[in-house]
This record gives sequence, structure tokens and C-alpha cells, in this order.
Amino acid sequence: MGVLDYLRGFRVTFDKLFEERVTTEYPEEKSPKPDRLHGRHVLNRYEDGMEKCIGCELCAGVCPAKCIYVRGQDNPLDEPVSPGERFGYIYEINYLRCIHCDLCVEACPTQAITETKLFEFSFTNRSDAIYTKDELLVGDDGLPQNLPWEDWRPGEDVATSAWMRATSPAGDADYVGTVGWSGELGYGVRAPEVGQFGEDPEPPAAEVDPVDEGGHH
Amino acid sequence: MTDTADTAEGIAITVNGQAVEARTGELLIDACERNGVYIPRFCYHPRMTPVGMCRMCLVEVDTGRGAALQPSCMLTCAPDMVVETESDLTKKAQDGVLEFLLINHPLDCPICDKGGECPLQDQTMAYGPGESRFVEEKRHYEKPIPINDNVYLDRERCILCDRCTRFAKEVAGDPLIHFQGRGNGTEVNTFPDEPFASYFSGNTVQICPVGALTAKPYRFKARPWDLEEVESTATIDSVGSRIVIQSSRNKVLRYLGVDSDAVNWGWLGDRERFSFEALNSELRLTEPLIASGEGHRVTTWSAALGAAADAIAKTPASRVAAIGGARLTNEAQYVWAKLLKDVIGTDHVDAQLGDGLPADLVLGLPRATIADACRPGGTIVLCGPDPKESLGALYLRLRHAVIEDGATLIELTPRSTGLSALAAHTLHPRPGELGALARALVAGTTDDVAGVSGAAIGAAHQAIAAGGPVTVLLGRASAAESAAVVAEAAAALSNIDDVGFLSTLTRGNVHGALDMGLAPGLLPGRQRLGAGIPRGWTSVPSETGLDSTGILTAAVAGEVDALILLGADPLRDFPDRHLAEQAFDAVDTVVAVDTLPTDSVAAADIVLAAAATTEVAGTFTNLEGRLSALAQKVTPPGTARPDWIIAAELALALGGDLAIQSLDDVWTELAAMSPVHAAIDPAAAAERDGVLVTGTIDYTPVEQGELPAKDAYALRLVSVRAMYDQGSSLAASPSSAGLHREPVLALHAADFEKLGVSAGDEVSVTSARGGVTLAVQSDPGVPRGSAVMVSHLGGPDPYDLIDTTTLVTEVLVERA
Repeated sequence: MGVLDYLRGFRVTFDKLFEERVTTEYPEEKSPKPDRLHGRHVLNRYEDGMEKCIGCELCAGVCPAKCIYVRGQDNPLDEPVSPGERFGYIYEINYLRCIHCDLCVEACPTQAITETKLFEFSFTNRSDAIYTKDELLVGDDGLPQNLPWEDWRPGEDVATSAWMRATSPAGDADYVGTVGWSGELGYGVRAPEVGQFGEDPEPPAAEVDPVDEGGHH
Repeated sequence: MTDTADTAEGIAITVNGQAVEARTGELLIDACERNGVYIPRFCYHPRMTPVGMCRMCLVEVDTGRGAALQPSCMLTCAPDMVVETESDLTKKAQDGVLEFLLINHPLDCPICDKGGECPLQDQTMAYGPGESRFVEEKRHYEKPIPINDNVYLDRERCILCDRCTRFAKEVAGDPLIHFQGRGNGTEVNTFPDEPFASYFSGNTVQICPVGALTAKPYRFKARPWDLEEVESTATIDSVGSRIVIQSSRNKVLRYLGVDSDAVNWGWLGDRERFSFEALNSELRLTEPLIASGEGHRVTTWSAALGAAADAIAKTPASRVAAIGGARLTNEAQYVWAKLLKDVIGTDHVDAQLGDGLPADLVLGLPRATIADACRPGGTIVLCGPDPKESLGALYLRLRHAVIEDGATLIELTPRSTGLSALAAHTLHPRPGELGALARALVAGTTDDVAGVSGAAIGAAHQAIAAGGPVTVLLGRASAAESAAVVAEAAAALSNIDDVGFLSTLTRGNVHGALDMGLAPGLLPGRQRLGAGIPRGWTSVPSETGLDSTGILTAAVAGEVDALILLGADPLRDFPDRHLAEQAFDAVDTVVAVDTLPTDSVAAADIVLAAAATTEVAGTFTNLEGRLSALAQKVTPPGTARPDWIIAAELALALGGDLAIQSLDDVWTELAAMSPVHAAIDPAAAAERDGVLVTGTIDYTPVEQGELPAKDAYALRLVSVRAMYDQGSSLAASPSSAGLHREPVLALHAADFEKLGVSAGDEVSVTSARGGVTLAVQSDPGVPRGSAVMVSHLGGPDPYDLIDTTTLVTEVLVERA
């Protein structure tokens, strides 16, 4: 076997030396995430600081991984937590089980739970994997809390679940109109249901009105 | 309604083109459902009169004059009816009714306790319009207002179906909630300043087809989809109402009534409905305890069982006694009976606490069922405690029988009861003279007997003599009156033709305890001691033992060294508390097997923590002798163990072996040794209506003996129980704990002058046993010469006055 054969064997290697590199220095550098990425959940608040969660457990009921544990309680009249009679007293998500399917987000009648784009979790014990309500709640600025063990990058806390409301009570995948308080949630107009009569009507022509930073169109 | 006879000939009707056979007098909605065609409804309830309020059950009916929409709940089936339940017109009507209901019904389903199990939600999905055309603001009321201590009313959600108001008026007889206002302003509410104070208010929550009525104990505790459920039997009283136990995350959260035709018809008393709270109580005993200094310290099971076994082993069998057992399942009762009567060899065993009846009366007299008692046209003789205060579900059945089915009620009670307003004849004998009155009633007399006028006795006699089935509800109306008095009356009443006796002993599974031999002189299977050694046993006690009164009396005399308490609290529940206290002082070792820290548990040397109902499987025997299934839904707290396992372990620690490893073993052994259980298929007992255990023991009437002449200055004490008191399990249920009344001494107003007191005065009441001071109140339901007190109210208590060695307790009442 001659030297030339040896060099020929390295031809692919040399060719690659001059191509553009695709690997990044993870975790120092992270690639941009798609807008629809399902990451760590947040529990939203209204503008006045009231919690949106009413403890209805629809998210827990729909969760295919059974990772959500919610219990409601009577809202204290003197210091209400949420606007109604009931508030979410316990809210826990076990991230060892969560598959980030986002069905909880679709089920939520008050848009209390949505997802950010933070998806990298690491825990040193099993109980740390259970996020409690205190950790999931957004801060007073409406943005997710950056918890000490989490590695947030710019953009991961905006446009949380921007496209997500296909079957949710208020929305359709074809967004219409404006956005919610946290600056991210669009809402659509769902076609009316038909009751006992007739065929499904034609879906209304979507009035395409691009959501500012949603970016799904 | 359910009393539609099966025997009637069928009527041919046509439903959706199919020929269907309806029963005579059957409502169209029932006939369709029975034949597999469900018609949606809100207001119709099979146990109540139809009213046609909600219009949801409109169907197209052609009765010969052309098809028209008619409410199927108001329409009795007639020959050749042609019914369309799925025609376009019917669908349009359903759609319209739902759209109208939803005009004002708030869409707060996510926070509503009914959401997920709501008929309005379900039927809107199935039959309703997809979208509302109304954009106007909905009607608003103040969000939930409490209408009593346990029920909230949210008027916004109410669809005015009339179920709760009908229940309150027709079924419970407490018409305290009603429609108010007109038109759009119509609402259900209580009268001003009058809460919905009914013992049965929880049923309205269960039958509400929307979330307008919700129960405080369940409020926001869980959603329907996280509840797991199992059908079981309520054990808080002896009616054995069928229930569904619902739990989430190993915690019982709710009981719902189940419609058992034989027993409770779907209804529950609030005490029953909310009794699960005591099981979740922080107070529950979770570990075995052993006396240490002034209190107890936690110990291991082996140490506790070892200590108990040592104490029992060193004591001769005749000096070991056991009280209680009504809390246990039948299987646990059997295992304990075998331990006590075979391994230990004592017959001093009594499941009752001196406030019940001799087993002979319950097992010896011909028995009747609730259905027998409630037969249309029958006669009911109430000779026991007030069913409304003691046996809620039975009260509702009796009330229905009298009002709807024409049963005649005769009361032979020491004071008026919750049924007095419905009774044809109310006779209040002087305490101690019930037997004489019963004899006079059966014989028919025109003389005054026991303080009751001859005319009244004669009239009541006519009702009995008129023929027809007679059922005697036999129990202990007053703990201050000896059981011998009731026995004497029972002997007299047993001479009526075609008479049946329905025991109204109230305490949990006490009838199971009698069937399982937890009574002196009895063995499991309604057998008397002395019939030889049963199969599977090695020995039986040689002599008939003592009942609770006898055991405690013997203990005071120093003849009992070891006392075992099976869920019994003699210090609180034995009518003569002085005797019980003295007995506890005299006994060397008290072993308490219990679930809650009662007074007797506090005084016990060894405490074995037991699993409660919903934590053990097994069977229950109700007051009819009906065997029904108890299901396990959750696990016991801490290391608490099922009662039967405690007995089996104790037997091993005593060097015996019960040869019972499972509940199946119990049934195998019971089938072999018990003549009354041999034919019972445990699978049949698991059915909703259970199985009746039949068979009686021989019965010999016993005379009560001479009643001492009445002291002219004294009143005879009557001690009754109330629905809500400070009993240990109620005190551990937050929703029932605060509902008890204040203790008062109730007298007939005519006695006031004689005693020189007036209503509201503090009086001292003294008997040979002791004295208490409390307020006096006039009560027209109390006969002259009697003084009525309610026990267990936490204050002055008749149990501090009662002398169980006498036939009646007389008290002196003086201004304090």
C-alpha cells in the first residue's frame, strides 16, 4: 500500500475541513429554537396580579402522562388568589413524567398554563423534578421566574406556546385578532358547534392577521 | 314510580317504531328507559312525584289525535301510544329547552363541583345547541350562600327543576326550601332566618341536576374524574344504607346514596353521608399504644399483642370479658367470637352496651324486613327509639309508607317522635309500664293503663284488630328504662296475628354481632351455647356468661381481671357511667381495639389501632338481618390493622391457632358451622340488595318483674339519643360536630307548677346515682310525670343518673 492510497483515505476529512461547521459549543452556545417548542410550563397571572389558575384540574384530567397534580380550594374572600370562587391551591408538575405534549395548555379554560421554550432539565434527585406552584407561577412582570438551577437564554420566555390553541375554547389554529396580556397568546374564532342537527359548516375563511412575533405564518 | 306492580298486564305501545310492552300505570319515561330508550330529563326522579317542570323529556306522542309534544314524565302509558323520542320535532324541542336553560345558567363549569358529572353539561353535549344565540348579560345572584351548615346554594346555576324542594317537602318532610319570586326572578331559597335544618339535606346535593347545591365537605376537594369508586354499605347505623364510596389519592372524599330497593332507596341521612370525615380525622389511632405513666406511648405490634396475650393468658377464662363488636365486619366478629369463646374460653361477651335488647328478642321473635313494615295497608307499631333521630334512612321509608302507601302507624313511645305527626295513634306509657300498655293494646281495653286513656288504647286496638300485617319496630326507646320492659312488651305484642318484628337496635353492625355470637350464651350462626362444639372449633365455654351490665357489675365486685373492648366506649356509652367508671378502676388490664381515642381508650392499658370501615372488606348485617357487602377503598392509616387480623394474631400470641388466613376461610368455616349461613352464597351478598339471613332461635318470654310504685314527688327519667351529639365518631366529623343541641330537661308544662319551676329555669336533677344541673323546657311531646333528657350532648348527661339495676330510673327535679 502506497502513500497515495493513504492520503486518498483522508480525502473526505480534508474536504470537510473547509466546509461550514454545524456543531455548536453546547451548552455555551445554543441553536435557535422553533416558536412552537414545548418546554417548561408557566402559570400565568392577570394584569392585576391575580392567578389565572382556578384549580379546575382539567389539565390534570387530560394529561396523558399523569404528571400534573392539582387541588382546588375555596378562594379566601379577604385575600383572593384568583378572580373566582376557587383557586389552584396545589399545582405540581412532575418533569420526570411530562412529555410536553401541551394538552394541558389546550385544556386550560383560563389560559393559565402555557409553555416556555426552556426544555433542558437536570435534577440531582427525584423530588427536585416536581415543580410546585411557587416555581411555576410567573413573576410580577408576567415572565417566568428564572430559577437558580435553570439556564435561560434570551427568547426562551417569549411567545410561549404561540400557536398552541387549536382546540382550546377560545381559539383556532388560524389566529384572528389580538394577543393576550403576556404579549404572546393570540386567540382565534372557533367555528360554532352544530348540536344535534346537520353537517359541520364550512370553516369560516380565516382572516389572516399576522400575530406580531408569533411567527407561525 | 317504583311501586308500579310487576304483576300487571302489559300495555302495547310503539316507541321509535319498535313494539314495546309497558306496565299498567307506568310512566312513559320509565317504560322507555326500561326498554333501552333513554329520554333526557332534569326534574324527573323515580323516587319522587313527577312535576313536568323542566320540559327536557318532551317527546312526540300520538295518542290517537295526531302527534304532539308531551312531557314523558307526566304521561302514563296507554294502549297503542305511538312515541317518537328521536324525531326532528323532539330534537328541536330538546335543543330549544337547553338553549333556554343556558340563557341564565353560568358557564363556570371549570370551577363548579358538578362539572364532569353534571346532567346539564352532559345533556347539552348530547342534545343541546352548539352555540348560544344570546349575547346579553346573564342573571346574577350572590355566589354561594350557605342554606345550612353543610349545603351551599348557588342560585345562578339553578334551573328550577323542583327536585330539591320536592325532596324537602315530600320525602324528608322538612319543607324549608321553596321557590320564591316570579318569572325571571324565580329562585329557590330558604325562608328568611330559617336555615334548611334537615337531617337529610345532603340528598338535595346528590339529586341536584346542576351545581346549584353543593356540599361543604366535598367543596373543591376533587373533580369527578379523579374519583375512584366502589359500592359498599354505610356502617354508622344499623339500617345499612347502600352507598358508593368515592376516594382520590387514598382518601375517602364522598359518600353517595345508592338506590337499593330493599333498603334506602338512594337516600342517606347527613350523618351517614358525611360520616367518612371521622375516618380521615387527625385523631385516628394509627399505632398500637401501651400505658406509660399518665398516658400512652407508641409501641410495636408485637409488644402490644404480647402484652395483651400475657394479661389474658395469666387470667382464668371466667375472669376475661369482652364488650363491643358492633363496629366490626361480620367476618371480624366471627374471628373475635372464635378467639373469645374457643381459644380464650369465656362467654362474658356482649356487643351491646346495656342500651340494647337481649339477643333472644332480636333473634327469637319472627323477623320482618323494612319492606314488610312498609307494606301498603299494613300497620306499624313503633316500640323503640325515634327513627328520625336514630335511623334516618328507615325514617324516610316509614314516612313514605304512611303518607303514600296508607300504612297505619301506632306509637308506643315514651315521648313523641319525628313520626308522631303522621301516627294514627300515639300512646305514651309511663316509663316502665310499656308491657302493661302492650298487653292492653293487644287485648283491647277501655280502662286507663300506664297513664294512657282507655279510649286511646281502644282506638289503637281497633287498628290492630282490623287485620292486615302488623310490624313491630322493636328497640330501646329510653336507656333509662330496662330492656326487660321492652321484652315484656314484645312478649305481649308477639300474640298479634301475623306479626313481624323489625329490630331497631341502632348501633352499626350490632345485628351482625348477634349473628356472629358476640352475645352471652350464643355462638355464631344464631346457635345457643350448649348445642355441642361446632365444626372447626375445639371448645366452647361451659356456662352462659354475663351481658355488659353483668360484666361491669362483676368487675366492680372484683370478678373480672381482663376486659377487652372491641370498638366500645363504656365510659361514655354505657347508660350507668358510675358503674362503668368503677369497673374500669377495678379491672387489672383493659385492652381496647379501636379507631378513635375515646374516653375508654384513654383509660385502657393496651390500645390496638384498628382499621375502620372503607379500609376493610367484608360484610355487614343490617337490622333486617340483610347481609350486604362492605368494600375496601383505602388503606388504613399508620400500622392500624383489620380487626380480624388482630384477633388472629392475638390467638397466635396466646398459643392457639384460629386456622383462619383469609376472609374466605371465615366463610368456609361459617358455612360449615352455621345453619343460617350455610345456604348463603357470598357472591349473592355482594349484590346491591344483599341477602337476608333467615332463621330464629327459640324464644321464651321473660317477665320484667315488679315495678316499684311511683314516688309521688319523683319524675321518671327518659333518656333518648339525638341524630347529632358528641359521640366519638361525630365529634371527629367537622361537618357534624357542631350540630348538636344544647342539653335541656324536657317536661310536660303541667308538671311545672307541681315542681315550682318555669321554662328556662336551671334545675337540679338527682337520682340515686348522682345529680346534674341544667335548664328546663316545656315540651308538649313529653307525657306528664316523665322527664326527658338527650344523652351524649357533652353537657349534663342522663347517663350520669341512670341506675341500670332498676327497671326505671326516678329523678327528683328541683329549682337549682
